[in-house]
Amino acid sequence: MKILLLVLVAIAALFAVASGVWVAIALISAISSRRA
Amino acid sequence: MDTVLSVAVVAAYVVLLTFVAVRARAAREFEEFSLARRALPLALVFGSLAATYVGPGFSIGFVGRGFKSGFLFLAIGLAYSVQNIFVGLFVAPRLRALKNCHTLGDAIGQKYDRKCHILAGVISVGLCTGFAAVMASAGGVVLSDIFGLPIWSSVTIVVGVTALYTTFGGLRASVITDAFQFTTFAILLPIMLLIVLGFHLQDGATVFAKQASVATSEGFSSTSPIEIVGLLVAFLLGETLIPPYANRALASRTTQISRNGFILAGVFCVIWFVVMIALGITARSIIPNDTGEDFVLLSLVKSVMPTGGYLLLLVVLVSVVMSSLDSLLNAGAVVFTQDIVKPFVMLTDNVALNIGRAATIVIAAVAAVGAVFVPSIIDGLLICYTIWAPAILPALIIGLWIKKPRPLAGILSMGVGTIVAVTFKFIFPDLIGIPAIIPALGSALLAYVLGHWIESIKSGA
Repeated sequence: MKILLLVLVAIAALFAVASGVWVAIALISAISSRRA
Repeated sequence: MDTVLSVAVVAAYVVLLTFVAVRARAAREFEEFSLARRALPLALVFGSLAATYVGPGFSIGFVGRGFKSGFLFLAIGLAYSVQNIFVGLFVAPRLRALKNCHTLGDAIGQKYDRKCHILAGVISVGLCTGFAAVMASAGGVVLSDIFGLPIWSSVTIVVGVTALYTTFGGLRASVITDAFQFTTFAILLPIMLLIVLGFHLQDGATVFAKQASVATSEGFSSTSPIEIVGLLVAFLLGETLIPPYANRALASRTTQISRNGFILAGVFCVIWFVVMIALGITARSIIPNDTGEDFVLLSLVKSVMPTGGYLLLLVVLVSVVMSSLDSLLNAGAVVFTQDIVKPFVMLTDNVALNIGRAATIVIAAVAAVGAVFVPSIIDGLLICYTIWAPAILPALIIGLWIKKPRPLAGILSMGVGTIVAVTFKFIFPDLIGIPAIIPALGSALLAYVLGHWIESIKSGA
Protein backbone atom coordinates (compact mmCIF):
# COMPACT_ATOMS: atom_id res chain seq x y z
CA MET A 1 0.00 0.00 0.00
CA LYS A 2 2.79 2.41 0.97
CA ILE A 3 4.74 1.52 -2.14
CA LEU A 4 1.59 1.90 -4.26
CA LEU A 5 1.08 5.46 -2.99
CA LEU A 6 4.64 6.39 -3.84
CA VAL A 7 4.42 4.76 -7.27
CA LEU A 8 1.20 6.67 -8.05
CA VAL A 9 2.87 9.95 -7.08
CA ALA A 10 5.90 9.12 -9.24
CA ILE A 11 3.63 8.24 -12.19
CA ALA A 12 1.81 11.58 -11.79
CA ALA A 13 5.17 13.38 -11.87
CA LEU A 14 6.18 11.53 -15.03
CA PHE A 15 2.86 12.37 -16.70
CA ALA A 16 3.37 16.04 -15.87
CA VAL A 17 6.85 15.94 -17.40
CA ALA A 18 5.46 14.18 -20.49
CA SER A 19 2.82 16.94 -20.84
CA GLY A 20 5.57 19.54 -20.69
CA VAL A 21 7.54 17.72 -23.40
CA TRP A 22 4.44 17.40 -25.64
CA VAL A 23 3.71 21.13 -25.39
CA ALA A 24 7.41 21.93 -25.96
CA ILE A 25 7.37 19.97 -29.21
CA ALA A 26 4.20 21.78 -30.34
CA LEU A 27 5.77 25.11 -29.39
CA ILE A 28 8.94 24.44 -31.37
CA SER A 29 6.85 23.38 -34.33
CA ALA A 30 4.68 26.51 -34.07
CA ILE A 31 7.51 29.02 -33.79
CA SER A 32 9.68 27.35 -36.40
CA SER A 33 6.86 27.50 -38.94
CA ARG A 34 5.43 30.72 -37.43
CA ARG A 35 2.02 29.08 -37.13
CA ALA A 36 0.01 29.33 -33.95
CA MET B 1 22.98 33.55 -2.92
CA ASP B 2 24.98 35.37 -5.53
CA THR B 3 22.77 38.26 -6.65
CA VAL B 4 24.75 38.72 -9.87
CA LEU B 5 24.06 35.11 -10.84
CA SER B 6 20.36 35.50 -9.99
CA VAL B 7 20.11 38.63 -12.12
CA ALA B 8 21.92 36.82 -14.95
CA VAL B 9 19.51 33.88 -14.80
CA VAL B 10 16.41 36.10 -14.80
CA ALA B 11 17.86 38.26 -17.59
CA ALA B 12 18.64 35.16 -19.69
CA TYR B 13 15.09 33.91 -19.08
CA VAL B 14 13.59 37.24 -20.14
CA VAL B 15 15.76 37.27 -23.31
CA LEU B 16 14.62 33.74 -24.19
CA LEU B 17 10.99 34.65 -23.49
CA THR B 18 11.32 37.76 -25.66
CA PHE B 19 12.76 35.62 -28.47
CA VAL B 20 9.78 33.28 -28.22
CA ALA B 21 7.34 36.23 -28.15
CA VAL B 22 9.03 37.85 -31.17
CA ARG B 23 8.79 34.57 -33.08
CA ALA B 24 5.05 34.70 -32.39
CA ARG B 25 4.96 38.03 -34.35
CA ALA B 26 3.08 41.22 -33.60
CA ALA B 27 -0.67 41.08 -34.19
CA ARG B 28 -1.68 42.99 -37.32
CA GLU B 29 -5.45 42.75 -37.03
CA PHE B 30 -7.92 42.78 -34.14
CA GLU B 31 -8.99 39.21 -35.05
CA GLU B 32 -5.36 38.17 -34.56
CA PHE B 33 -4.98 40.21 -31.34
CA SER B 34 -8.19 38.81 -29.82
CA LEU B 35 -8.48 35.26 -31.16
CA ALA B 36 -5.18 34.43 -32.90
CA ARG B 37 -7.25 33.96 -36.09
CA ARG B 38 -9.03 30.98 -34.46
CA ALA B 39 -6.18 28.71 -35.51
CA LEU B 40 -4.80 27.29 -32.25
CA PRO B 41 -3.91 23.58 -32.31
CA LEU B 42 -4.73 21.21 -29.43
CA ALA B 43 -1.31 21.16 -27.76
CA LEU B 44 -1.16 24.96 -27.58
CA VAL B 45 -4.75 25.30 -26.34
CA PHE B 46 -4.02 22.71 -23.66
CA GLY B 47 -0.61 24.18 -22.70
CA SER B 48 -1.93 27.72 -22.59
CA LEU B 49 -5.01 26.76 -20.54
CA ALA B 50 -2.94 24.76 -18.07
CA ALA B 51 -0.33 27.52 -17.83
CA THR B 52 -3.05 30.05 -17.07
CA TYR B 53 -4.67 27.79 -14.42
CA VAL B 54 -1.38 27.14 -12.70
CA GLY B 55 -0.72 30.48 -11.10
CA PRO B 56 0.89 31.08 -7.71
CA GLY B 57 -2.16 29.59 -5.96
CA PHE B 58 -1.89 26.22 -7.73
CA SER B 59 1.88 26.00 -7.20
CA ILE B 60 3.15 27.80 -4.09
CA GLY B 61 -0.32 27.69 -2.51
CA PHE B 62 -0.94 23.96 -3.10
CA VAL B 63 2.53 22.94 -1.89
CA GLY B 64 1.78 24.88 1.32
CA ARG B 65 -1.62 23.23 1.66
CA GLY B 66 -0.08 19.79 1.12
CA PHE B 67 2.38 20.59 3.90
CA LYS B 68 -0.38 21.60 6.33
CA SER B 69 -3.31 19.41 5.35
CA GLY B 70 -2.00 16.58 3.18
CA PHE B 71 -4.39 15.18 0.58
CA LEU B 72 -7.41 17.17 1.86
CA PHE B 73 -6.77 19.77 -0.82
CA LEU B 74 -6.49 17.11 -3.50
CA ALA B 75 -10.15 16.33 -2.89
CA ILE B 76 -10.98 20.05 -3.13
CA GLY B 77 -8.78 20.45 -6.20
CA LEU B 78 -10.68 17.61 -7.88
CA ALA B 79 -13.71 19.93 -7.99
CA TYR B 80 -11.65 22.22 -10.20
CA SER B 81 -10.74 19.37 -12.53
CA VAL B 82 -14.35 18.21 -12.73
CA GLN B 83 -15.39 21.75 -13.62
CA ASN B 84 -12.89 21.87 -16.49
CA ILE B 85 -13.98 18.53 -17.85
CA PHE B 86 -17.65 19.60 -17.69
CA VAL B 87 -16.83 22.89 -19.42
CA GLY B 88 -15.00 20.90 -22.10
CA LEU B 89 -17.88 18.51 -22.58
CA PHE B 90 -20.85 20.86 -22.40
CA VAL B 91 -19.92 24.55 -22.70
CA ALA B 92 -16.70 25.18 -24.67
CA PRO B 93 -17.90 23.53 -27.92
CA ARG B 94 -21.18 25.53 -27.81
CA LEU B 95 -19.20 28.72 -27.21
CA ARG B 96 -16.78 27.95 -30.06
CA ALA B 97 -19.68 27.22 -32.41
CA LEU B 98 -21.09 30.78 -32.06
CA LYS B 99 -20.33 32.99 -35.05
CA ASN B 100 -18.67 36.44 -34.70
CA CYS B 101 -18.01 35.81 -31.04
CA HIS B 102 -14.78 37.20 -29.53
CA THR B 103 -15.71 37.21 -25.84
CA LEU B 104 -18.16 35.92 -23.26
CA GLY B 105 -19.88 39.31 -23.52
CA ASP B 106 -20.45 38.65 -27.23
CA ALA B 107 -21.94 35.27 -26.37
CA ILE B 108 -24.21 36.82 -23.73
CA GLY B 109 -25.09 39.67 -26.12
CA GLN B 110 -26.08 37.18 -28.83
CA LYS B 111 -28.24 35.19 -26.42
CA TYR B 112 -29.82 38.11 -24.53
CA ASP B 113 -29.41 41.75 -25.62
CA ARG B 114 -27.02 44.70 -25.84
CA LYS B 115 -27.46 45.77 -22.20
CA CYS B 116 -26.47 42.29 -21.00
CA HIS B 117 -23.52 42.36 -23.41
CA ILE B 118 -22.19 45.61 -21.92
CA LEU B 119 -22.83 44.59 -18.30
CA ALA B 120 -20.98 41.30 -18.89
CA GLY B 121 -18.12 43.33 -20.40
CA VAL B 122 -17.89 45.67 -17.42
CA ILE B 123 -17.88 42.75 -14.94
CA SER B 124 -15.29 40.87 -17.05
CA VAL B 125 -12.90 43.82 -17.30
CA GLY B 126 -13.20 44.46 -13.55
CA LEU B 127 -12.50 40.81 -12.74
CA CYS B 128 -9.60 40.53 -15.20
CA THR B 129 -8.05 43.60 -13.58
CA GLY B 130 -8.60 42.13 -10.11
CA PHE B 131 -7.07 38.76 -11.04
CA ALA B 132 -4.18 40.60 -12.76
CA ALA B 133 -3.54 42.60 -9.57
CA VAL B 134 -3.28 39.33 -7.60
CA MET B 135 -0.78 37.93 -10.13
CA ALA B 136 1.20 41.19 -10.16
CA SER B 137 1.34 41.11 -6.39
CA ALA B 138 2.62 37.51 -6.39
CA GLY B 139 5.25 38.32 -9.02
CA GLY B 140 6.34 41.35 -7.03
CA VAL B 141 6.74 39.28 -3.88
CA VAL B 142 8.90 36.70 -5.70
CA LEU B 143 11.26 39.23 -7.28
CA SER B 144 11.39 41.35 -4.14
CA ASP B 145 12.28 38.30 -2.03
CA ILE B 146 15.12 37.33 -4.32
CA PHE B 147 16.68 40.67 -5.24
CA GLY B 148 15.74 42.65 -2.13
CA LEU B 149 14.09 45.28 -4.33
CA PRO B 150 11.22 47.42 -3.03
CA ILE B 151 7.90 45.74 -3.80
CA TRP B 152 6.74 48.53 -6.13
CA SER B 153 9.77 48.17 -8.39
CA SER B 154 9.43 44.36 -8.48
CA VAL B 155 5.76 44.69 -9.45
CA THR B 156 6.71 47.24 -12.13
CA ILE B 157 9.30 44.88 -13.67
CA VAL B 158 6.95 41.86 -13.78
CA VAL B 159 3.98 43.83 -15.10
CA GLY B 160 6.11 45.88 -17.51
CA VAL B 161 7.76 42.88 -19.22
CA THR B 162 4.46 40.99 -19.44
CA ALA B 163 2.51 43.99 -20.74
CA LEU B 164 5.18 44.63 -23.39
CA TYR B 165 4.85 41.35 -25.26
CA THR B 166 1.08 41.09 -24.66
CA THR B 167 0.47 44.60 -26.03
CA PHE B 168 2.19 43.88 -29.33
CA GLY B 169 1.56 40.17 -29.80
CA GLY B 170 -1.99 39.87 -28.46
CA LEU B 171 -3.45 36.40 -27.88
CA ARG B 172 -0.96 34.68 -30.18
CA ALA B 173 2.02 35.95 -28.13
CA SER B 174 0.18 35.16 -24.91
CA VAL B 175 -0.49 31.56 -25.99
CA ILE B 176 3.01 30.98 -27.37
CA THR B 177 4.72 32.36 -24.26
CA ASP B 178 2.27 30.42 -22.07
CA ALA B 179 3.36 27.23 -23.82
CA PHE B 180 7.00 28.12 -23.19
CA GLN B 181 6.29 28.90 -19.53
CA PHE B 182 4.19 25.74 -19.14
CA THR B 183 7.07 23.68 -20.49
CA THR B 184 9.39 25.28 -17.94
CA PHE B 185 7.38 24.55 -14.83
CA ALA B 186 5.65 21.33 -15.92
CA ILE B 187 9.06 19.73 -16.38
CA LEU B 188 11.11 21.30 -13.57
CA LEU B 189 8.81 20.96 -10.56
CA PRO B 190 7.88 17.27 -11.10
CA ILE B 191 11.56 16.45 -11.66
CA MET B 192 12.30 18.13 -8.36
CA LEU B 193 9.67 15.93 -6.69
CA LEU B 194 11.27 12.80 -8.17
CA ILE B 195 14.69 13.94 -6.87
CA VAL B 196 13.27 14.52 -3.38
CA LEU B 197 11.48 11.16 -3.35
CA GLY B 198 14.50 9.32 -4.71
CA PHE B 199 17.35 10.93 -2.79
CA HIS B 200 16.10 12.91 0.20
CA LEU B 201 13.58 10.65 1.95
CA GLN B 202 15.13 7.79 3.87
CA ASP B 203 12.82 4.75 3.79
CA GLY B 204 10.83 6.85 1.32
CA ALA B 205 7.57 4.92 0.97
CA THR B 206 6.99 4.48 4.72
CA VAL B 207 7.89 8.07 5.63
CA PHE B 208 5.80 9.50 2.78
CA ALA B 209 2.73 7.40 3.65
CA LYS B 210 3.01 8.28 7.35
CA GLN B 211 3.40 12.00 6.72
CA ALA B 212 0.53 11.95 4.22
CA SER B 213 -1.74 10.24 6.73
CA VAL B 214 -0.84 12.57 9.63
CA ALA B 215 -1.13 15.74 7.52
CA THR B 216 -4.47 14.71 5.99
CA SER B 217 -5.92 13.92 9.45
CA GLU B 218 -4.70 17.31 10.70
CA GLY B 219 -6.27 18.96 7.66
CA PHE B 220 -9.69 17.39 8.28
CA SER B 221 -9.62 18.18 12.00
CA SER B 222 -8.68 21.84 11.44
CA THR B 223 -11.20 22.53 8.66
CA SER B 224 -14.92 22.68 9.41
CA PRO B 225 -17.39 20.93 7.07
CA ILE B 226 -18.91 24.27 6.04
CA GLU B 227 -15.44 25.57 5.13
CA ILE B 228 -14.88 22.48 3.01
CA VAL B 229 -18.23 23.04 1.27
CA GLY B 230 -17.32 26.70 0.62
CA LEU B 231 -13.94 25.73 -0.80
CA LEU B 232 -15.50 23.03 -2.98
CA VAL B 233 -17.99 25.53 -4.41
CA ALA B 234 -15.26 28.14 -4.95
CA PHE B 235 -13.01 25.63 -6.74
CA LEU B 236 -15.91 24.16 -8.69
CA LEU B 237 -17.29 27.45 -10.00
CA GLY B 238 -15.07 30.39 -9.05
CA GLU B 239 -12.83 30.34 -12.12
CA THR B 240 -15.23 28.72 -14.55
CA LEU B 241 -14.75 30.23 -17.98
CA ILE B 242 -13.16 33.46 -16.79
CA PRO B 243 -12.32 35.61 -19.86
CA PRO B 244 -8.84 34.16 -20.62
CA TYR B 245 -10.23 30.61 -20.66
CA ALA B 246 -13.18 31.68 -22.79
CA ASN B 247 -10.73 33.33 -25.24
CA ARG B 248 -8.90 30.02 -25.64
CA ALA B 249 -12.16 28.15 -26.18
CA LEU B 250 -13.07 30.65 -28.89
CA ALA B 251 -9.59 30.70 -30.46
CA SER B 252 -9.34 26.92 -30.92
CA ARG B 253 -9.09 25.72 -34.51
CA THR B 254 -12.23 23.55 -34.21
CA THR B 255 -15.00 22.84 -31.70
CA GLN B 256 -13.40 19.44 -31.08
CA ILE B 257 -10.07 21.04 -30.17
CA SER B 258 -11.90 23.44 -27.88
CA ARG B 259 -13.60 20.51 -26.10
CA ASN B 260 -10.51 18.32 -25.88
CA GLY B 261 -8.29 21.21 -24.73
CA PHE B 262 -10.48 21.75 -21.66
CA ILE B 263 -10.82 18.04 -20.93
CA LEU B 264 -7.06 17.48 -21.12
CA ALA B 265 -6.38 20.56 -19.00
CA GLY B 266 -8.86 19.21 -16.43
CA VAL B 267 -7.06 15.86 -16.32
CA PHE B 268 -3.71 17.66 -16.09
CA CYS B 269 -5.00 19.57 -13.03
CA VAL B 270 -5.46 16.29 -11.13
CA ILE B 271 -1.90 15.23 -11.98
CA TRP B 272 -0.56 18.65 -11.09
CA PHE B 273 -2.35 18.78 -7.72
CA VAL B 274 -0.95 15.33 -6.84
CA VAL B 275 2.58 16.56 -7.64
CA MET B 276 2.22 19.83 -5.69
CA ILE B 277 0.62 18.20 -2.64
CA ALA B 278 3.23 15.43 -2.67
CA LEU B 279 5.95 18.10 -2.63
CA GLY B 280 4.27 19.63 0.43
CA ILE B 281 4.03 16.25 2.16
CA THR B 282 7.70 15.41 1.51
CA ALA B 283 8.64 18.83 2.91
CA ARG B 284 7.20 17.83 6.33
CA SER B 285 10.18 15.60 7.06
CA ILE B 286 12.73 18.03 5.59
CA ILE B 287 11.93 21.61 6.68
CA PRO B 288 10.83 23.03 10.08
CA ASN B 289 7.18 22.41 11.03
CA ASP B 290 6.47 26.08 11.70
CA THR B 291 7.34 27.16 8.14
CA GLY B 292 4.64 29.50 6.74
CA GLU B 293 2.46 27.99 3.99
CA ASP B 294 3.63 30.39 1.29
CA PHE B 295 7.30 29.63 2.05
CA VAL B 296 7.19 25.82 2.01
CA LEU B 297 8.19 25.44 -1.64
CA LEU B 298 10.96 28.00 -1.35
CA SER B 299 12.33 26.44 1.87
CA LEU B 300 12.15 22.93 0.41
CA VAL B 301 14.09 23.92 -2.67
CA LYS B 302 16.70 25.72 -0.57
CA SER B 303 17.10 22.61 1.58
CA VAL B 304 17.34 19.95 -1.11
CA MET B 305 18.67 21.61 -4.23
CA PRO B 306 22.06 23.14 -4.95
CA THR B 307 22.35 26.83 -5.93
CA GLY B 308 21.47 26.02 -9.52
CA GLY B 309 18.24 24.41 -8.32
CA TYR B 310 17.27 27.54 -6.45
CA LEU B 311 17.82 29.60 -9.60
CA LEU B 312 15.70 27.18 -11.58
CA LEU B 313 12.94 27.64 -9.04
CA LEU B 314 13.21 31.37 -9.54
CA VAL B 315 12.63 30.88 -13.26
CA VAL B 316 9.72 28.54 -12.53
CA LEU B 317 8.01 31.03 -10.24
CA VAL B 318 8.45 33.90 -12.68
CA SER B 319 6.97 31.63 -15.41
CA VAL B 320 4.02 30.68 -13.25
CA VAL B 321 3.15 34.31 -12.56
CA MET B 322 3.73 35.72 -16.05
CA SER B 323 1.78 32.98 -17.84
CA SER B 324 -1.34 33.85 -15.84
CA LEU B 325 -0.78 37.60 -15.96
CA ASP B 326 -0.36 37.85 -19.75
CA SER B 327 -3.58 35.91 -20.36
CA LEU B 328 -5.52 38.19 -18.02
CA LEU B 329 -4.13 41.39 -19.56
CA ASN B 330 -4.97 40.24 -23.08
CA ALA B 331 -8.44 38.99 -22.12
CA GLY B 332 -9.24 42.23 -20.27
CA ALA B 333 -8.13 44.34 -23.25
CA VAL B 334 -10.13 42.29 -25.76
CA VAL B 335 -13.23 42.42 -23.55
CA PHE B 336 -12.88 46.19 -23.11
CA THR B 337 -12.67 46.75 -26.87
CA GLN B 338 -15.31 44.24 -27.90
CA ASP B 339 -17.87 44.54 -25.09
CA ILE B 340 -17.55 48.10 -23.84
CA VAL B 341 -16.31 50.25 -26.76
CA LYS B 342 -17.68 48.46 -29.84
CA PRO B 343 -21.36 48.45 -28.76
CA PHE B 344 -21.22 52.28 -28.76
CA VAL B 345 -18.83 53.12 -31.60
CA MET B 346 -18.23 51.61 -35.05
CA LEU B 347 -14.50 50.87 -35.18
CA THR B 348 -12.23 50.09 -38.09
CA ASP B 349 -10.04 47.04 -37.53
CA ASN B 350 -6.95 49.18 -37.09
CA VAL B 351 -8.59 51.42 -34.49
CA ALA B 352 -9.92 48.37 -32.62
CA LEU B 353 -6.41 46.90 -32.57
CA ASN B 354 -4.96 50.15 -31.20
CA ILE B 355 -7.69 50.41 -28.55
CA GLY B 356 -6.94 46.81 -27.54
CA ARG B 357 -3.25 47.63 -27.19
CA ALA B 358 -3.92 50.81 -25.21
CA ALA B 359 -6.35 48.90 -22.96
CA THR B 360 -3.65 46.27 -22.27
CA ILE B 361 -1.34 49.01 -20.98
CA VAL B 362 -4.04 50.70 -18.91
CA ILE B 363 -5.21 47.41 -17.31
CA ALA B 364 -1.56 46.54 -16.58
CA ALA B 365 -1.03 49.91 -14.91
CA VAL B 366 -4.21 49.61 -12.81
CA ALA B 367 -3.26 46.04 -11.83
CA ALA B 368 0.22 47.20 -10.80
CA VAL B 369 -1.26 49.89 -8.56
CA GLY B 370 -3.90 47.47 -7.23
CA ALA B 371 -1.22 44.87 -6.43
CA VAL B 372 -0.24 46.90 -3.38
CA PHE B 373 -3.73 46.38 -1.89
CA VAL B 374 -3.94 42.61 -2.44
CA PRO B 375 -4.27 40.98 1.02
CA SER B 376 -2.65 37.63 0.07
CA ILE B 377 -2.54 35.41 -3.00
CA ILE B 378 -5.28 33.00 -1.89
CA ASP B 379 -7.48 35.71 -0.34
CA GLY B 380 -7.15 37.83 -3.46
CA LEU B 381 -8.15 34.91 -5.67
CA LEU B 382 -11.09 33.99 -3.41
CA ILE B 383 -12.44 37.57 -3.68
CA CYS B 384 -12.38 37.30 -7.49
CA TYR B 385 -13.95 33.80 -7.44
CA THR B 386 -16.73 35.00 -5.14
CA ILE B 387 -17.79 37.70 -7.56
CA TRP B 388 -17.21 35.97 -10.91
CA ALA B 389 -19.27 32.82 -10.42
CA PRO B 390 -22.57 34.45 -9.34
CA ALA B 391 -22.17 37.45 -11.64
CA ILE B 392 -21.69 35.62 -14.93
CA LEU B 393 -22.13 31.85 -14.79
CA PRO B 394 -25.92 31.45 -14.38
CA ALA B 395 -26.64 33.87 -17.24
CA LEU B 396 -23.94 32.41 -19.48
CA ILE B 397 -24.52 28.71 -18.97
CA ILE B 398 -28.32 28.80 -18.93
CA GLY B 399 -28.25 31.16 -21.92
CA LEU B 400 -26.15 28.72 -23.93
CA TRP B 401 -28.50 25.84 -23.16
CA ILE B 402 -32.10 27.08 -23.23
CA LYS B 403 -33.99 27.96 -26.40
CA LYS B 404 -35.30 31.43 -25.58
CA PRO B 405 -33.15 33.20 -22.98
CA ARG B 406 -34.88 36.34 -21.66
CA PRO B 407 -32.87 39.58 -21.42
CA LEU B 408 -34.48 40.52 -18.07
CA ALA B 409 -33.34 37.18 -16.61
CA GLY B 410 -29.77 37.84 -17.78
CA ILE B 411 -29.54 41.37 -16.47
CA LEU B 412 -31.21 40.53 -13.13
CA SER B 413 -28.98 37.50 -12.60
CA MET B 414 -25.77 39.42 -13.32
CA GLY B 415 -26.79 42.46 -11.30
CA VAL B 416 -28.13 40.60 -8.25
CA GLY B 417 -25.23 38.09 -8.29
CA THR B 418 -22.67 40.90 -8.26
CA ILE B 419 -24.42 42.97 -5.59
CA VAL B 420 -25.00 40.04 -3.21
CA ALA B 421 -21.41 38.80 -3.65
CA VAL B 422 -19.94 42.24 -2.94
CA THR B 423 -22.30 42.79 -0.02
CA PHE B 424 -21.50 39.52 1.76
CA LYS B 425 -17.79 39.60 0.91
CA PHE B 426 -16.97 43.22 1.82
CA ILE B 427 -19.80 44.96 3.67
CA PHE B 428 -21.16 42.20 5.95
CA PRO B 429 -18.51 39.44 5.81
CA ASP B 430 -19.50 37.87 9.14
CA LEU B 431 -23.27 38.18 8.84
CA ILE B 432 -24.20 34.63 7.83
CA GLY B 433 -21.14 32.51 8.66
CA ILE B 434 -20.97 30.79 5.27
CA PRO B 435 -18.79 31.71 2.27
CA ALA B 436 -20.31 34.62 0.30
CA ILE B 437 -20.20 32.69 -2.99
CA ILE B 438 -23.03 30.38 -1.82
CA PRO B 439 -25.75 33.00 -1.09
CA ALA B 440 -24.60 35.06 -4.08
CA LEU B 441 -24.93 32.11 -6.44
CA GLY B 442 -28.32 31.19 -4.98
CA SER B 443 -29.55 34.79 -5.35
CA ALA B 444 -28.31 34.99 -8.93
CA LEU B 445 -30.16 31.80 -9.84
CA LEU B 446 -33.35 33.00 -8.14
CA ALA B 447 -33.08 36.36 -9.89
CA TYR B 448 -32.65 34.54 -13.20
CA VAL B 449 -35.77 32.44 -12.64
CA LEU B 450 -37.72 35.54 -11.59
CA GLY B 451 -36.63 37.54 -14.65
CA HIS B 452 -37.43 34.64 -16.96
CA TRP B 453 -40.85 34.17 -15.40
CA ILE B 454 -41.75 37.91 -15.59
CA GLU B 455 -40.78 38.18 -19.26
CA SER B 456 -42.52 34.94 -20.11
CA ILE B 457 -45.74 36.31 -18.61
CA LYS B 458 -45.28 39.64 -20.41
CA SER B 459 -44.77 37.99 -23.78
CA GLY B 460 -47.57 35.52 -23.11
CA ALA B 461 -45.29 32.54 -23.75
